[in-house]
Amino acid sequence: MEQLFFYIFAFAAVISAILVISVRNPVHSAFFLIVTFMQVAAIFILLRSPFLAAVQVFVYVGAVMVLFLFAVLVLDMGKETMKEHLHGQSIPAGVMAVILFLLMCYMVVKGRIVANPGSYGEAALVNNTEVIGRELYTRFIYPFEIVSLILLVALVGAIALVMQSKGKEQGK
Amino acid sequence: MIIPYLGVLIIVGLVGFMGVMSFFASFIMRPRNPYAEKLTPWECGMEPVGEANAGHFRVHYFIIAILFIVFDVETLFLFPWATLLTDKGLSGFIFIEMIVFVAILAIGFIYAWVKGALEWV
Amino acid sequence: MLTLTHYLILSFTLFSIGVAGVLLRRNIIIVLMSLELIFNSVNISLAAFSYFLRSLNGTVFVIFNITVAAAEVAIGLAILVTVYRARRTVNVDEIDELRG
Repeated sequence: MEQLFFYIFAFAAVISAILVISVRNPVHSAFFLIVTFMQVAAIFILLRSPFLAAVQVFVYVGAVMVLFLFAVLVLDMGKETMKEHLHGQSIPAGVMAVILFLLMCYMVVKGRIVANPGSYGEAALVNNTEVIGRELYTRFIYPFEIVSLILLVALVGAIALVMQSKGKEQGK
Repeated sequence: MIIPYLGVLIIVGLVGFMGVMSFFASFIMRPRNPYAEKLTPWECGMEPVGEANAGHFRVHYFIIAILFIVFDVETLFLFPWATLLTDKGLSGFIFIEMIVFVAILAIGFIYAWVKGALEWV
Repeated sequence: MLTLTHYLILSFTLFSIGVAGVLLRRNIIIVLMSLELIFNSVNISLAAFSYFLRSLNGTVFVIFNITVAAAEVAIGLAILVTVYRARRTVNVDEIDELRG
């Protein structure tokens, strides 16, 4: 039963991912990307981490895609998208992507895991958010605080870049 | 453990189905007699000039979205923190931890405020 | 029975599609969307390792990964908007000079 759901979600994710890179209009692309993100959230639930699924939905679908759609809105995409065409690089690039995929599949089928399994079985993951929080706020304090610096740099950098170009626009 | 999430899946499926069905039902039931005047975007207004996707929107929407994404990620870290606050042994420590986290992000917020990113003029 | 290999092959498929998108498309905003696909495929494989090895490190790493991806998108799209205002193009082939 679980296997059936896995195949449904995986198939939908792969199909919509292919559509993301093959449709011309960036807005359609963004909507197919939302479908892919929802399927990935479902895969996270199959992997027994509902917290990750919730985070996936509210960060990726809720915030990242809004940012992408606003970027499409602010830019003048109309003429640009229709002009786009494939070029000489495309055939070797496609072949390289396929070779990369086959190589990775070969490695994962041939490889085997030598690490010892830890203690977080399915029973330990029932209160998923609390279990993750306990790990996050004890063993991973320093990464957690550094992440706030990354977010600060991203916020300041993005605001500085966009406000600067906005000032230039008004000066004209 | 994942059986309760079947309900979430069913609701998502139902919502999608309802959305598609409401479009489809109005597609088959609507009267259809188009003429040139009716097909213009504003039937009793000005003729639209140029394309709608020609970037007439202000960059300000984008700045608000950047602020939203950063504080959305901050909320992500507040959820596991909130579930742990009932733990007596850990709560004082993680409370201070979160104060530091929020204070660092507040610097960015103050920067955006001083820079005028929040003003809609 | 679902094994680690199933999830890893799904992850690799999405990764290859993302790489193909970065290499094939010329529209820079779709290149950034393909980067998001790659981030997601990595998240799937981290979560799969975390589940099958019964360890929580992978899950915590996914949370940090999502955070970094959000920061990357904010900066990346801000640079994109700035470049667009200077050059009036979103074609990656035409954005090939460092001087603005």
